[in-house]
Amino acid sequence: MTEIGLPRSTTSRAVTLIVALVVLVIAAALWGISVGAVAIPVDVIVNTLFNLDGEQQTYIIIKSRLPRMVLALLAGGALALSGAIIQAVIRNPLASPNIIGINSGAALFALGMVLVFPAIPVAWMPLAACIGGLLAASFVMLVAHYRNLSAVHLALIGVAVGFVFQAGVDYLLITSSDSESSAPMIWLTGSLWGRTWGHVAISWIPLLALSAVALLLSYRLDLIALGEGTATGLGLNVPRQRLILLFVATMLASVAVAVVGVMGFIGLMAPHIARRLVGGSHRLMLPVSALVGMLLVVLADSIGRAIAPPIEISAGILAALIGAPFFVYIMLTTASET
Amino acid sequence: MSITLAGVTAGYGRDRAIVADIDLTIRTGEVTVLIGPNGCGKSTLLKTIGRLLKPRSGAIHVDDLDVLRNDPKRVARTIAYLPQSPVVPTAITVEQLVGYGRAPHQSLLGLRSPRDIELVDQAIATTGLDDLRARPVAELSGGQRQRAFIAMALAQDTPYVMLDEPTTFLDIRHQVETLDLIRQLHDAGRTSIVVLHDIAQAARYGDRLVVMHEGKIVAEGRPADVVTPDLLREVYGLECAVYPDPVSGTPVVTPR
Repeated sequence: MTEIGLPRSTTSRAVTLIVALVVLVIAAALWGISVGAVAIPVDVIVNTLFNLDGEQQTYIIIKSRLPRMVLALLAGGALALSGAIIQAVIRNPLASPNIIGINSGAALFALGMVLVFPAIPVAWMPLAACIGGLLAASFVMLVAHYRNLSAVHLALIGVAVGFVFQAGVDYLLITSSDSESSAPMIWLTGSLWGRTWGHVAISWIPLLALSAVALLLSYRLDLIALGEGTATGLGLNVPRQRLILLFVATMLASVAVAVVGVMGFIGLMAPHIARRLVGGSHRLMLPVSALVGMLLVVLADSIGRAIAPPIEISAGILAALIGAPFFVYIMLTTASET
Repeated sequence: MSITLAGVTAGYGRDRAIVADIDLTIRTGEVTVLIGPNGCGKSTLLKTIGRLLKPRSGAIHVDDLDVLRNDPKRVARTIAYLPQSPVVPTAITVEQLVGYGRAPHQSLLGLRSPRDIELVDQAIATTGLDDLRARPVAELSGGQRQRAFIAMALAQDTPYVMLDEPTTFLDIRHQVETLDLIRQLHDAGRTSIVVLHDIAQAARYGDRLVVMHEGKIVAEGRPADVVTPDLLREVYGLECAVYPDPVSGTPVVTPR
Protein backbone atom coordinates (compact mmCIF):
# COMPACT_ATOMS: atom_id res chain seq x y z
CA MET A 1 0.00 0.00 0.00
CA THR A 2 1.29 3.42 -0.86
CA GLU A 3 -0.12 6.87 -0.56
CA ILE A 4 1.19 10.22 -1.56
CA GLY A 5 1.81 11.30 1.96
CA LEU A 6 -0.58 14.12 2.53
CA PRO A 7 -3.23 14.13 5.22
CA ARG A 8 -6.22 12.18 3.91
CA SER A 9 -8.52 15.18 4.33
CA THR A 10 -6.19 17.33 2.18
CA THR A 11 -6.09 14.73 -0.58
CA SER A 12 -9.85 14.13 -0.66
CA ARG A 13 -10.49 17.87 -0.60
CA ALA A 14 -8.12 18.29 -3.53
CA VAL A 15 -9.79 15.49 -5.47
CA THR A 16 -13.19 17.13 -4.95
CA LEU A 17 -11.72 20.42 -6.08
CA ILE A 18 -10.14 18.89 -9.18
CA VAL A 19 -13.46 17.27 -10.16
CA ALA A 20 -15.24 20.59 -9.64
CA LEU A 21 -12.66 22.41 -11.76
CA VAL A 22 -12.95 19.85 -14.56
CA VAL A 23 -16.74 20.36 -14.59
CA LEU A 24 -16.26 24.14 -14.62
CA VAL A 25 -13.75 23.96 -17.47
CA ILE A 26 -16.12 21.80 -19.56
CA ALA A 27 -19.05 24.12 -18.83
CA ALA A 28 -16.97 27.19 -19.72
CA ALA A 29 -15.77 25.56 -22.95
CA LEU A 30 -19.34 24.71 -24.00
CA TRP A 31 -20.46 28.25 -23.27
CA GLY A 32 -17.43 29.52 -25.17
CA ILE A 33 -18.44 27.52 -28.24
CA SER A 34 -21.99 28.90 -28.03
CA VAL A 35 -21.13 32.62 -27.89
CA GLY A 36 -19.85 34.88 -30.66
CA ALA A 37 -21.05 36.64 -33.79
CA VAL A 38 -23.55 33.79 -34.28
CA ALA A 39 -25.03 32.48 -31.03
CA ILE A 40 -25.43 28.71 -30.97
CA PRO A 41 -27.64 26.91 -28.40
CA VAL A 42 -25.92 24.26 -26.29
CA ASP A 43 -28.10 21.41 -27.62
CA VAL A 44 -26.93 22.21 -31.14
CA ILE A 45 -23.32 22.13 -29.93
CA VAL A 46 -23.83 18.72 -28.29
CA ASN A 47 -25.57 17.43 -31.46
CA THR A 48 -22.66 18.63 -33.56
CA LEU A 49 -19.83 17.43 -31.33
CA PHE A 50 -21.25 13.94 -30.88
CA ASN A 51 -22.92 13.80 -34.31
CA LEU A 52 -26.41 13.26 -32.86
CA ASP A 53 -29.73 13.66 -34.68
CA GLY A 54 -31.17 17.15 -34.78
CA GLU A 55 -29.88 20.54 -35.78
CA GLN A 56 -26.12 20.82 -36.25
CA GLN A 57 -23.81 23.78 -36.91
CA THR A 58 -20.87 21.96 -38.36
CA TYR A 59 -19.14 24.83 -40.11
CA ILE A 60 -18.95 27.40 -37.31
CA ILE A 61 -18.38 24.88 -34.54
CA ILE A 62 -15.95 22.46 -36.15
CA LYS A 63 -14.06 24.90 -38.35
CA SER A 64 -13.97 27.97 -36.17
CA ARG A 65 -14.86 27.64 -32.52
CA LEU A 66 -13.74 24.13 -31.59
CA PRO A 67 -10.09 24.58 -32.61
CA ARG A 68 -9.83 27.79 -30.63
CA MET A 69 -11.37 26.11 -27.56
CA VAL A 70 -8.90 23.23 -27.88
CA LEU A 71 -6.07 25.75 -28.15
CA ALA A 72 -7.38 27.74 -25.18
CA LEU A 73 -7.34 24.56 -23.08
CA LEU A 74 -3.89 23.47 -24.24
CA ALA A 75 -2.29 26.91 -23.94
CA GLY A 76 -3.97 27.82 -20.67
CA GLY A 77 -2.77 24.60 -19.07
CA ALA A 78 0.72 24.96 -20.53
CA LEU A 79 1.20 28.57 -19.41
CA ALA A 80 -0.01 27.74 -15.90
CA LEU A 81 2.27 24.69 -15.57
CA SER A 82 5.19 26.71 -16.91
CA GLY A 83 4.56 29.46 -14.36
CA ALA A 84 4.21 26.98 -11.48
CA ILE A 85 7.52 25.31 -12.37
CA ILE A 86 9.37 28.59 -12.73
CA GLN A 87 8.03 29.91 -9.42
CA ALA A 88 9.18 26.76 -7.63
CA VAL A 89 12.62 26.69 -9.24
CA ILE A 90 13.39 30.39 -8.90
CA ARG A 91 11.65 30.51 -5.51
CA ASN A 92 10.23 33.89 -6.31
CA PRO A 93 6.49 34.56 -6.16
CA LEU A 94 6.89 37.19 -8.87
CA ALA A 95 8.32 34.67 -11.28
CA SER A 96 6.46 33.62 -14.42
CA PRO A 97 7.42 32.69 -17.98
CA ASN A 98 7.88 36.44 -18.47
CA ILE A 99 10.66 36.61 -15.98
CA ILE A 100 13.08 34.40 -17.83
CA GLY A 101 12.40 36.36 -20.97
CA ILE A 102 10.45 33.60 -22.72
CA ASN A 103 7.45 35.64 -23.80
CA SER A 104 9.37 38.55 -25.26
CA GLY A 105 11.91 36.21 -26.86
CA ALA A 106 9.11 34.28 -28.55
CA ALA A 107 7.30 37.48 -29.53
CA LEU A 108 10.44 39.03 -31.06
CA PHE A 109 11.22 36.04 -33.24
CA ALA A 110 7.65 35.52 -34.39
CA LEU A 111 7.15 39.19 -35.20
CA GLY A 112 10.57 39.42 -36.80
CA MET A 113 9.68 36.58 -39.11
CA VAL A 114 6.38 38.14 -40.13
CA LEU A 115 7.66 41.70 -40.57
CA VAL A 116 11.22 41.22 -41.80
CA PHE A 117 10.78 38.04 -43.85
CA PRO A 118 7.19 38.29 -45.11
CA ALA A 119 7.97 35.66 -47.75
CA ILE A 120 8.12 32.88 -45.15
CA PRO A 121 4.70 31.16 -44.80
CA VAL A 122 2.83 32.19 -41.64
CA ALA A 123 2.61 28.54 -40.62
CA TRP A 124 6.26 28.82 -39.58
CA MET A 125 5.53 31.58 -37.09
CA PRO A 126 5.08 29.17 -34.14
CA LEU A 127 8.47 27.62 -34.82
CA ALA A 128 10.11 31.04 -34.90
CA ALA A 129 8.43 31.90 -31.58
CA CYS A 130 9.78 28.69 -30.04
CA ILE A 131 13.30 29.50 -31.15
CA GLY A 132 13.05 32.97 -29.63
CA GLY A 133 11.67 31.71 -26.33
CA LEU A 134 14.29 29.01 -26.04
CA LEU A 135 17.05 31.44 -26.95
CA ALA A 136 16.05 33.88 -24.22
CA ALA A 137 15.61 31.18 -21.60
CA SER A 138 18.74 29.27 -22.62
CA PHE A 139 20.82 32.38 -22.18
CA VAL A 140 19.48 32.86 -18.66
CA MET A 141 19.77 29.17 -17.82
CA LEU A 142 23.28 28.72 -19.19
CA VAL A 143 24.63 31.77 -17.41
CA ALA A 144 22.98 30.59 -14.20
CA HIS A 145 24.29 27.06 -14.68
CA TYR A 146 27.90 27.86 -15.42
CA ARG A 147 28.27 30.65 -12.90
CA ASN A 148 26.23 28.69 -10.35
CA LEU A 149 24.04 31.69 -9.64
CA SER A 150 21.53 32.10 -6.87
CA ALA A 151 17.80 32.12 -7.56
CA VAL A 152 17.66 35.89 -7.16
CA HIS A 153 20.45 36.51 -9.68
CA LEU A 154 18.79 34.15 -12.11
CA ALA A 155 15.53 36.08 -11.87
CA LEU A 156 17.28 39.44 -12.28
CA ILE A 157 19.20 38.30 -15.37
CA GLY A 158 15.92 36.97 -16.74
CA VAL A 159 14.29 40.36 -16.28
CA ALA A 160 17.19 42.06 -18.07
CA VAL A 161 17.12 39.59 -20.98
CA GLY A 162 13.35 40.06 -21.21
CA PHE A 163 13.80 43.82 -21.55
CA VAL A 164 16.33 43.41 -24.35
CA PHE A 165 13.93 41.22 -26.35
CA GLN A 166 11.04 43.55 -25.53
CA ALA A 167 13.08 46.46 -26.89
CA GLY A 168 13.48 44.46 -30.10
CA VAL A 169 9.72 43.94 -30.29
CA ASP A 170 9.05 47.65 -29.81
CA TYR A 171 11.65 48.53 -32.45
CA LEU A 172 10.03 46.18 -34.97
CA LEU A 173 6.58 47.61 -34.30
CA ILE A 174 7.73 51.22 -34.64
CA THR A 175 9.82 50.74 -37.77
CA SER A 176 7.35 48.48 -39.52
CA SER A 177 5.73 50.53 -42.26
CA ASP A 178 3.27 47.76 -43.02
CA SER A 179 0.16 49.02 -41.29
CA GLU A 180 -2.36 47.15 -43.39
CA SER A 181 -2.53 44.28 -40.97
CA SER A 182 -3.18 44.57 -37.24
CA ALA A 183 -2.49 40.87 -36.76
CA PRO A 184 0.89 41.34 -35.02
CA MET A 185 -0.64 43.73 -32.50
CA ILE A 186 -3.55 41.39 -31.80
CA TRP A 187 -1.18 38.45 -31.43
CA LEU A 188 0.99 40.42 -28.98
CA THR A 189 -1.96 40.93 -26.66
CA GLY A 190 -2.64 37.19 -26.62
CA SER A 191 -5.58 36.20 -28.73
CA LEU A 192 -7.27 33.12 -30.12
CA TRP A 193 -8.62 35.10 -33.05
CA GLY A 194 -8.36 33.24 -36.34
CA ARG A 195 -6.89 30.07 -34.82
CA THR A 196 -7.44 26.93 -36.87
CA TRP A 197 -6.89 23.19 -36.68
CA GLY A 198 -3.52 23.92 -38.26
CA HIS A 199 -2.43 25.61 -35.03
CA VAL A 200 -3.75 22.65 -33.01
CA ALA A 201 -1.91 20.23 -35.26
CA ILE A 202 1.49 21.81 -34.66
CA SER A 203 1.08 22.24 -30.92
CA TRP A 204 -0.94 19.47 -29.31
CA ILE A 205 1.71 16.78 -29.24
CA PRO A 206 4.46 18.90 -27.66
CA LEU A 207 2.04 20.55 -25.22
CA LEU A 208 0.53 17.27 -23.99
CA ALA A 209 3.90 15.53 -23.79
CA LEU A 210 5.52 18.43 -21.91
CA SER A 211 2.54 18.68 -19.54
CA ALA A 212 2.90 14.97 -18.75
CA VAL A 213 6.62 15.42 -18.04
CA ALA A 214 5.84 18.38 -15.79
CA LEU A 215 3.37 16.30 -13.77
CA LEU A 216 5.89 13.46 -13.46
CA LEU A 217 8.47 15.87 -12.05
CA SER A 218 6.05 17.43 -9.56
CA TYR A 219 7.61 15.85 -6.46
CA ARG A 220 11.07 17.04 -7.53
CA LEU A 221 9.61 20.53 -7.61
CA ASP A 222 8.66 20.16 -3.94
CA LEU A 223 12.25 19.29 -3.11
CA ILE A 224 13.81 22.00 -5.26
CA ALA A 225 11.51 24.57 -3.63
CA LEU A 226 13.30 23.78 -0.34
CA GLY A 227 16.37 25.61 -1.64
CA GLU A 228 19.70 24.34 -2.86
CA GLY A 229 21.12 23.34 0.54
CA THR A 230 18.20 21.27 1.80
CA ALA A 231 17.46 19.75 -1.62
CA THR A 232 21.10 18.70 -2.04
CA GLY A 233 21.01 17.13 1.41
CA LEU A 234 17.99 15.12 0.26
CA GLY A 235 19.99 13.70 -2.64
CA LEU A 236 18.94 15.97 -5.49
CA ASN A 237 21.47 17.11 -8.07
CA VAL A 238 20.11 20.64 -7.87
CA PRO A 239 21.86 22.35 -10.83
CA ARG A 240 20.89 19.53 -13.18
CA GLN A 241 17.29 19.30 -11.98
CA ARG A 242 16.94 23.07 -12.18
CA LEU A 243 18.08 22.96 -15.80
CA ILE A 244 15.70 20.12 -16.72
CA LEU A 245 12.73 21.79 -15.03
CA LEU A 246 13.39 25.19 -16.55
CA PHE A 247 13.79 23.60 -19.98
CA VAL A 248 10.38 21.93 -19.65
CA ALA A 249 8.83 25.20 -18.45
CA THR A 250 10.39 27.16 -21.32
CA MET A 251 9.19 24.76 -23.97
CA LEU A 252 5.68 24.76 -22.49
CA ALA A 253 5.45 28.55 -22.51
CA SER A 254 7.15 28.96 -25.91
CA VAL A 255 4.84 26.56 -27.71
CA ALA A 256 1.85 28.20 -26.02
CA VAL A 257 3.01 31.70 -26.96
CA ALA A 258 3.56 30.44 -30.49
CA VAL A 259 -0.09 29.49 -30.93
CA VAL A 260 -1.97 31.98 -28.76
CA GLY A 261 0.42 34.91 -28.45
CA VAL A 262 1.56 36.66 -25.30
CA MET A 263 -0.70 36.02 -22.31
CA GLY A 264 1.78 36.89 -19.62
CA PHE A 265 -0.62 37.03 -16.73
CA ILE A 266 -1.78 33.39 -16.82
CA GLY A 267 1.61 31.99 -15.87
CA LEU A 268 1.83 34.30 -12.89
CA MET A 269 -1.73 34.09 -11.66
CA ALA A 270 -2.82 30.47 -12.10
CA PRO A 271 -0.11 28.99 -9.84
CA HIS A 272 -0.88 31.49 -7.07
CA ILE A 273 -4.58 30.69 -7.23
CA ALA A 274 -3.79 26.95 -7.21
CA ARG A 275 -1.44 27.28 -4.24
CA ARG A 276 -4.15 29.10 -2.38
CA LEU A 277 -6.65 26.36 -3.19
CA VAL A 278 -4.62 23.20 -2.43
CA GLY A 279 -1.37 24.31 -0.79
CA GLY A 280 2.22 24.04 -1.96
CA SER A 281 2.56 20.30 -2.63
CA HIS A 282 3.14 20.24 -6.38
CA ARG A 283 1.63 16.80 -6.91
CA LEU A 284 -1.74 18.45 -6.23
CA MET A 285 -0.83 22.02 -7.05
CA LEU A 286 0.36 21.38 -10.64
CA PRO A 287 -2.84 19.73 -11.92
CA VAL A 288 -4.98 22.34 -10.15
CA SER A 289 -2.80 25.07 -11.60
CA ALA A 290 -3.24 23.68 -15.13
CA LEU A 291 -7.02 23.52 -14.68
CA VAL A 292 -7.16 27.09 -13.37
CA GLY A 293 -5.07 28.22 -16.36
CA MET A 294 -7.44 26.45 -18.76
CA LEU A 295 -10.48 27.97 -17.08
CA LEU A 296 -9.01 31.47 -17.19
CA VAL A 297 -8.08 31.35 -20.88
CA VAL A 298 -11.38 29.72 -21.95
CA LEU A 299 -13.40 32.27 -19.96
CA ALA A 300 -11.29 35.18 -21.20
CA ASP A 301 -11.66 34.12 -24.83
CA SER A 302 -15.39 33.47 -24.49
CA ILE A 303 -16.16 36.72 -22.69
CA GLY A 304 -14.05 38.56 -25.25
CA ARG A 305 -16.35 37.28 -27.98
CA ALA A 306 -19.57 37.72 -25.97
CA ILE A 307 -19.16 41.39 -25.00
CA ALA A 308 -19.74 43.09 -28.36
CA PRO A 309 -20.01 40.63 -31.27
CA PRO A 310 -18.76 40.59 -33.97
CA ILE A 311 -15.89 42.56 -32.40
CA GLU A 312 -13.48 40.41 -30.37
CA ILE A 313 -11.47 41.52 -27.39
CA SER A 314 -8.18 39.65 -26.94
CA ALA A 315 -8.18 36.85 -24.39
CA GLY A 316 -4.90 38.11 -22.95
CA ILE A 317 -6.45 41.47 -22.13
CA LEU A 318 -9.53 39.92 -20.54
CA ALA A 319 -7.53 37.33 -18.61
CA ALA A 320 -5.72 40.20 -16.93
CA LEU A 321 -8.98 42.08 -16.36
CA ILE A 322 -10.76 39.09 -14.78
CA GLY A 323 -7.77 37.69 -12.97
CA ALA A 324 -6.14 40.80 -11.58
CA PRO A 325 -8.77 41.68 -8.95
CA PHE A 326 -8.88 38.06 -7.76
CA PHE A 327 -5.10 37.94 -7.76
CA VAL A 328 -4.81 41.12 -5.69
CA TYR A 329 -7.37 39.71 -3.25
CA ILE A 330 -5.31 36.52 -2.87
CA MET A 331 -2.10 38.47 -2.34
CA LEU A 332 -3.73 40.63 0.32
CA THR A 333 -5.19 37.69 2.22
CA THR A 334 -1.99 35.63 2.15
CA ALA A 335 0.40 38.52 2.83
CA SER A 336 1.09 37.25 6.34
CA GLU A 337 2.40 33.90 5.08
CA THR A 338 5.40 35.36 3.30
CA MET B 1 33.20 3.16 10.30
CA SER B 2 33.79 6.89 10.01
CA ILE B 3 33.78 9.95 7.80
CA THR B 4 37.24 10.61 6.42
CA LEU B 5 38.47 13.68 4.60
CA ALA B 6 41.82 13.50 2.85
CA GLY B 7 43.49 16.62 1.50
CA VAL B 8 40.23 18.50 0.94
CA THR B 9 40.61 21.98 -0.55
CA ALA B 10 37.50 24.01 -1.40
CA GLY B 11 36.40 27.56 -2.14
CA TYR B 12 33.95 29.65 -4.12
CA GLY B 13 34.33 30.64 -7.77
CA ARG B 14 37.87 31.60 -8.66
CA ASP B 15 38.63 33.10 -5.26
CA ARG B 16 41.30 31.64 -3.04
CA ALA B 17 40.43 28.45 -1.19
CA ILE B 18 38.41 28.87 2.02
CA VAL B 19 39.50 25.52 3.40
CA ALA B 20 42.89 24.14 2.39
CA ASP B 21 44.24 20.63 2.53
CA ILE B 22 42.00 19.36 5.33
CA ASP B 23 42.57 15.89 6.75
CA LEU B 24 39.91 14.87 9.25
CA THR B 25 38.37 11.71 10.63
CA ILE B 26 34.94 11.91 12.23
CA ARG B 27 34.39 8.98 14.56
CA THR B 28 31.14 7.08 14.51
CA GLY B 29 28.90 7.43 17.54
CA GLU B 30 30.18 10.84 18.62
CA VAL B 31 28.87 14.37 18.42
CA THR B 32 31.61 16.32 16.67
CA VAL B 33 31.34 20.09 16.89
CA LEU B 34 33.14 22.40 14.48
CA ILE B 35 33.99 25.77 16.02
CA GLY B 36 36.07 28.78 15.04
CA PRO B 37 35.76 32.48 14.29
CA ASN B 38 33.62 33.88 11.46
CA GLY B 39 35.09 33.06 8.08
CA CYS B 40 37.32 30.28 9.41
CA GLY B 41 35.82 27.79 6.95
CA LYS B 42 33.72 25.62 9.25
CA SER B 43 30.49 26.08 7.27
CA THR B 44 32.40 25.71 4.01
CA LEU B 45 33.82 22.41 5.22
CA LEU B 46 30.35 21.17 6.15
CA LYS B 47 28.98 22.26 2.77
CA THR B 48 31.77 20.36 1.07
CA ILE B 49 30.96 17.16 2.94
CA GLY B 50 27.28 17.88 2.18
CA ARG B 51 28.09 18.04 -1.58
CA LEU B 52 26.83 21.60 -1.79
CA LEU B 53 30.31 22.70 -2.76
CA LYS B 54 32.56 20.68 -5.01
CA PRO B 55 36.07 20.49 -3.59
CA ARG B 56 38.97 21.46 -5.85
CA SER B 57 40.94 18.49 -4.64
CA GLY B 58 40.83 15.76 -2.06
CA ALA B 59 38.57 12.85 -1.25
CA ILE B 60 35.65 12.37 1.13
CA HIS B 61 34.50 8.95 2.26
CA VAL B 62 31.57 8.05 4.46
CA ASP B 63 32.23 4.51 5.61
CA ASP B 64 33.28 2.98 2.28
CA LEU B 65 31.16 5.30 0.17
CA ASP B 66 32.98 7.81 -2.02
CA VAL B 67 30.79 10.86 -1.46
CA LEU B 68 31.98 12.81 -4.49
CA ARG B 69 31.66 10.01 -7.03
CA ASN B 70 28.45 8.35 -5.95
CA ASP B 71 24.82 8.85 -6.86
CA PRO B 72 23.62 11.80 -4.72
CA LYS B 73 20.50 9.89 -3.70
CA ARG B 74 22.58 7.02 -2.38
CA VAL B 75 24.79 9.41 -0.41
CA ALA B 76 21.62 11.03 0.99
CA ARG B 77 20.62 7.65 2.42
CA THR B 78 23.84 7.63 4.44
CA ILE B 79 24.34 11.23 5.44
CA ALA B 80 21.77 13.97 6.10
CA TYR B 81 22.67 17.64 5.76
CA LEU B 82 20.73 20.64 7.05
CA PRO B 83 21.96 24.03 5.83
CA GLN B 84 22.17 27.12 7.97
CA SER B 85 18.76 28.90 8.02
CA PRO B 86 17.04 26.60 5.51
CA VAL B 87 14.49 28.07 3.10
CA VAL B 88 10.98 27.81 4.53
CA PRO B 89 8.69 26.57 1.75
CA THR B 90 5.33 28.29 1.21
CA ALA B 91 2.09 26.47 2.01
CA ILE B 92 3.78 23.25 3.19
CA THR B 93 2.73 21.60 6.45
CA VAL B 94 5.06 20.19 9.11
CA GLU B 95 4.03 16.67 8.14
CA GLN B 96 4.77 17.31 4.47
CA LEU B 97 8.16 18.81 5.29
CA VAL B 98 9.13 15.89 7.51
CA GLY B 99 7.91 13.59 4.72
CA TYR B 100 10.48 15.11 2.34
CA GLY B 101 13.10 13.45 4.52
CA ARG B 102 12.02 10.18 2.93
CA ALA B 103 12.75 11.42 -0.60
CA PRO B 104 16.15 9.67 -0.90
CA HIS B 105 14.38 6.37 -0.22
CA GLN B 106 11.53 6.98 -2.67
CA SER B 107 10.96 6.87 -6.40
CA LEU B 108 10.34 9.85 -8.67
CA LEU B 109 6.76 10.43 -7.54
CA GLY B 110 7.50 10.26 -3.83
CA LEU B 111 4.87 7.64 -3.03
CA ARG B 112 5.07 6.63 0.60
CA SER B 113 5.46 3.09 1.88
CA PRO B 114 4.19 2.03 5.34
CA ARG B 115 7.83 2.23 6.48
CA ASP B 116 8.00 5.85 5.30
CA ILE B 117 4.85 6.71 7.21
CA GLU B 118 6.17 5.02 10.34
CA LEU B 119 9.48 6.89 10.24
CA VAL B 120 7.78 10.24 9.63
CA ASP B 121 5.46 9.65 12.59
CA GLN B 122 8.43 8.67 14.74
CA ALA B 123 10.41 11.76 13.75
CA ILE B 124 7.42 13.99 14.52
CA ALA B 125 6.95 12.34 17.91
CA THR B 126 10.66 12.55 18.80
CA THR B 127 10.77 16.27 18.08
CA GLY B 128 7.51 16.91 19.94
CA LEU B 129 5.68 18.24 16.89
CA ASP B 130 2.54 16.09 17.14
CA ASP B 131 0.27 19.05 17.82
CA LEU B 132 1.76 21.06 14.99
CA ARG B 133 1.88 18.42 12.26
CA ALA B 134 -0.94 19.91 10.17
CA ARG B 135 0.29 23.51 10.55
CA PRO B 136 2.13 25.30 7.71
CA VAL B 137 5.84 25.49 8.51
CA ALA B 138 5.83 29.18 7.56
CA GLU B 139 3.50 29.92 10.50
CA LEU B 140 5.74 28.33 13.14
CA SER B 141 8.12 30.15 15.48
CA GLY B 142 11.86 29.95 14.83
CA GLY B 143 12.39 27.19 17.38
CA GLN B 144 9.50 25.11 16.08
CA ARG B 145 10.74 25.48 12.50
CA GLN B 146 14.19 24.29 13.49
CA ARG B 147 12.59 21.26 15.15
CA ALA B 148 10.59 20.55 12.00
CA PHE B 149 13.75 20.61 9.87
CA ILE B 150 15.58 18.39 12.35
CA ALA B 151 12.58 16.02 12.21
CA MET B 152 12.99 15.97 8.42
CA ALA B 153 16.65 14.99 8.82
CA LEU B 154 15.59 12.33 11.35
CA ALA B 155 13.05 10.86 8.94
CA GLN B 156 15.87 10.59 6.42
CA ASP B 157 17.04 7.77 8.70
CA THR B 158 20.75 8.15 8.01
CA PRO B 159 23.57 7.02 10.30
CA TYR B 160 25.22 10.46 9.90
CA VAL B 161 23.60 13.87 10.41
CA MET B 162 25.23 17.25 9.69
CA LEU B 163 23.74 20.48 11.03
CA ASP B 164 25.08 23.91 10.10
CA GLU B 165 24.56 26.38 12.97
CA PRO B 166 21.21 24.93 14.05
CA THR B 167 20.95 27.35 16.99
CA THR B 168 21.42 30.62 15.10
CA PHE B 169 18.51 33.07 15.54
CA LEU B 170 17.04 31.03 18.40
CA ASP B 171 16.56 32.28 21.96
CA ILE B 172 18.38 30.45 24.73
CA ARG B 173 15.53 28.08 25.57
CA HIS B 174 15.14 26.98 21.97
CA GLN B 175 18.89 26.72 21.61
CA VAL B 176 18.97 24.30 24.54
CA GLU B 177 16.00 22.38 23.13
CA THR B 178 17.76 21.99 19.80
CA LEU B 179 21.01 20.91 21.42
CA ASP B 180 19.18 18.41 23.65
CA LEU B 181 17.64 17.00 20.49
CA ILE B 182 21.13 16.52 19.05
CA ARG B 183 22.13 14.61 22.20
CA GLN B 184 18.99 12.51 21.74
CA LEU B 185 20.12 11.67 18.20
CA HIS B 186 23.45 10.63 19.67
CA ASP B 187 21.76 8.41 22.23
CA ALA B 188 19.77 6.82 19.41
CA GLY B 189 23.08 5.82 17.81
CA ARG B 190 23.55 8.52 15.20
CA THR B 191 26.78 10.30 14.49
CA SER B 192 26.41 14.04 14.15
CA ILE B 193 28.61 16.86 12.96
CA VAL B 194 27.44 20.25 14.09
CA VAL B 195 28.72 23.77 13.45
CA LEU B 196 28.23 26.00 16.51
CA HIS B 197 29.33 29.50 17.45
CA ASP B 198 29.07 29.31 21.21
CA ILE B 199 32.18 27.71 22.66
CA ALA B 200 30.55 26.80 25.99
CA GLN B 201 27.65 25.10 24.20
CA ALA B 202 30.07 23.30 21.90
CA ALA B 203 32.04 22.09 24.90
CA ARG B 204 28.94 21.00 26.75
CA TYR B 205 27.17 19.18 23.94
CA GLY B 206 30.07 17.92 21.84
CA ASP B 207 32.01 14.73 22.51
CA ARG B 208 34.77 16.08 20.36
CA LEU B 209 35.68 19.56 19.16
CA VAL B 210 37.35 20.47 15.91
CA VAL B 211 38.69 24.03 15.97
CA MET B 212 39.26 25.80 12.67
CA HIS B 213 41.18 28.96 11.93
CA GLU B 214 41.86 30.51 8.53
CA GLY B 215 40.87 27.40 6.61
CA LYS B 216 42.92 24.99 8.69
CA ILE B 217 42.20 22.68 11.58
CA VAL B 218 44.22 24.01 14.49
CA ALA B 219 43.03 21.76 17.29
CA GLU B 220 41.01 18.62 17.73
CA GLY B 221 40.02 16.56 20.74
CA ARG B 222 37.95 16.37 23.90
CA PRO B 223 36.47 19.75 24.96
CA ALA B 224 38.42 19.89 28.22
CA ASP B 225 41.69 19.33 26.36
CA VAL B 226 40.98 21.74 23.51
CA VAL B 227 39.39 24.81 25.12
CA THR B 228 42.37 26.57 26.72
CA PRO B 229 43.34 30.24 27.10
CA ASP B 230 46.26 29.68 24.69
CA LEU B 231 44.00 28.32 21.95
CA LEU B 232 41.44 31.09 22.39
CA ARG B 233 44.20 33.70 22.13
CA GLU B 234 45.57 32.06 18.99
CA VAL B 235 42.24 31.54 17.24
CA TYR B 236 40.01 34.40 18.38
CA GLY B 237 42.74 36.86 19.43
CA LEU B 238 41.05 37.23 22.79
CA GLU B 239 42.43 36.94 26.32
CA CYS B 240 40.04 34.64 28.17
CA ALA B 241 39.60 32.85 31.45
CA VAL B 242 38.50 29.22 31.17
CA TYR B 243 36.73 27.57 34.12
CA PRO B 244 34.46 24.57 34.57
CA ASP B 245 30.70 24.98 34.08
CA PRO B 246 29.00 24.64 37.50
CA VAL B 247 26.37 22.30 36.03
CA SER B 248 28.15 20.12 33.50
CA GLY B 249 31.80 20.57 34.46
CA THR B 250 32.71 21.31 30.84
CA PRO B 251 34.81 24.41 30.04
CA VAL B 252 33.19 27.86 29.98
CA VAL B 253 34.89 30.93 28.56
CA THR B 254 34.87 34.50 29.86
CA PRO B 255 36.86 37.25 28.15
CA ARG B 256 39.24 39.11 30.45
